[in-house]
Amino acid sequence: MGLKENIKKYWELYLMVIPGIIFFILFKYVPMLGITIAFKDYGIFTGIKDSPWVGLKHFKAFFEYPDFWRVFNNTMIIGFLKIVLSFPVPIVLSLLLNEVRNLKFKKTVQTVFYIPHFFSWVIIAGLTFDLLSANGVVNSLLGMLGYEPILFMQRTEYFRLIVVLTGIWRDAGWGTIVILAAISGINPSVYEAAKIDGAGRFKQMLNITLPLLVPTLLVLLLLQIGRFLDIGFEHVYNLLTPMTQSVGDTIDTYVYRVGILQGQFSATTAIGVFQSVVGLTLVLAFNKLSKKFSEGGII
Amino acid sequence: MRRKIIDKLYDGIIALFLSIVGIIMIVPLLSVLATSLSKSIAVEAGKVFLLPVDITLASWRYILLRADLWRSFGVTFLATVIGTTLALIITAFLAYPLSKKYFALAKILGVFVIITMIFKAPIIPYFLTIKNLGLFDNFFVLVLPHTVTAYNLVIMRSFFSQLPADLEESAKIDGAGYFKIFWRILLPMSKPVMATLGLFYSVMIWNQFLHPILFIQSQALFPLQLRLRQYITAGEDLVNSSITELLDYNDVTLKSATIIFAVVPILMVYPYIQKYFVKGAMLGSVKG
Repeated sequence: MGLKENIKKYWELYLMVIPGIIFFILFKYVPMLGITIAFKDYGIFTGIKDSPWVGLKHFKAFFEYPDFWRVFNNTMIIGFLKIVLSFPVPIVLSLLLNEVRNLKFKKTVQTVFYIPHFFSWVIIAGLTFDLLSANGVVNSLLGMLGYEPILFMQRTEYFRLIVVLTGIWRDAGWGTIVILAAISGINPSVYEAAKIDGAGRFKQMLNITLPLLVPTLLVLLLLQIGRFLDIGFEHVYNLLTPMTQSVGDTIDTYVYRVGILQGQFSATTAIGVFQSVVGLTLVLAFNKLSKKFSEGGII
Repeated sequence: MRRKIIDKLYDGIIALFLSIVGIIMIVPLLSVLATSLSKSIAVEAGKVFLLPVDITLASWRYILLRADLWRSFGVTFLATVIGTTLALIITAFLAYPLSKKYFALAKILGVFVIITMIFKAPIIPYFLTIKNLGLFDNFFVLVLPHTVTAYNLVIMRSFFSQLPADLEESAKIDGAGYFKIFWRILLPMSKPVMATLGLFYSVMIWNQFLHPILFIQSQALFPLQLRLRQYITAGEDLVNSSITELLDYNDVTLKSATIIFAVVPILMVYPYIQKYFVKGAMLGSVKG
């Protein structure tokens, strides 16, 4: 059946997809074409089409920019800390949740674990400022132990850790959903066999559940690595204070400040393009590596 | 016998650990709630942990009488209702044909959507596009950009493709068109997925920050999250600090009350939809 007949027969279906297609073109594809301004000298009045091409000028410029390297380093460090510190948390939580046999307790705990995922970053930043303020809970506890209050949110040495920890607080529980689903997909007969061999529950978790999860975990890790430089504008922006700018300014907050507020459209688009390319390269490289790794694992 | 004791101990340790983690997750909220209900003097003295000290509704009275906060609440509420409705309809309209093998464009459109998950335009071209669409400082910038997300579309498509085709077939024989089938048969069968994605979309629109901060300038259009930022973290004093000594509230207690104010709607909807969304989240991540 040709396309013409298909349209004739199912014209209603074709009508249905139109609003969705228009949405994707306007809000996703047109902005993608706008990437060209990274290779142009974009002026507000000339528009994208009529701005002159300048090749890689903006890319070369930001590589020579000390500001860029500071921001790039911050992004790398936070991204790295995020993967190292937050990736294992939902795994551990899932393995433990899976061991709980009291269903009522399990459900209650899970309900509590999922809640923070639904809070906005403004709220989470608000909670964080509140808890870590001079007379907030943390400092009150420190005070009881005889320590002077610490102004955590204004000290550069704590900022990156606070970003990572708030991220864990918000999403670790949510992350257990996928992993628990993968665990429930494991064939129960494997456990039966292990039980007959005399493996206790802890040994089963370590020697069956965890290894069988590896493929799922690799996919999850791959997805995280793809978002390596994508720390999340709202997350960092709401936690930043003028005092923590030097260690907390990431590519996203920098692009917002310099690109949008100061109108340096072309230069910051180049940075955005660079960010996407790095992300994609990391995913492809890691994908290759993980394939090699799992093949090697068989032998 | 020994095995049983070890098992009990094992269960106990795990339950203890998970409880501690659960408490850590909930403590910030409790502490902020307590602060919002305490007298400012007690808060300043660092006496408030998880339970309010010298209970007073002063902060709440102050917050609930702020017209600008209610206005922002209204903007966000309206955007969430309109946006979620629109998003569900347009996502379903797109997902339904994509779940049909006999729809000739199903595959191509699938790829068309998935590409947007992998390649995202940098923020500046996006900003310029929205501006060119005339959405700058426009209420609909809080609504329209959230009409479809690829992730939600994938969830909905796989849900639709699991539904039994028989009902549809018999309706078709009775002469019903696809729109009729869609409204009369498909939607009533799709409550779980609609509830899940409805929650995802409404939380996204309710919590949105990026679009407002990029595109909204007039105070009258400030949605809740921008207002909250103004109240909570932007360092603006809500009340003149020279008079707070005479009052039962101060900046800290007011900020706390604001946080709770913004969280309550989400906590109210959450329990009703929880049973659905776990399934939805699983479906999306396994197949997406």
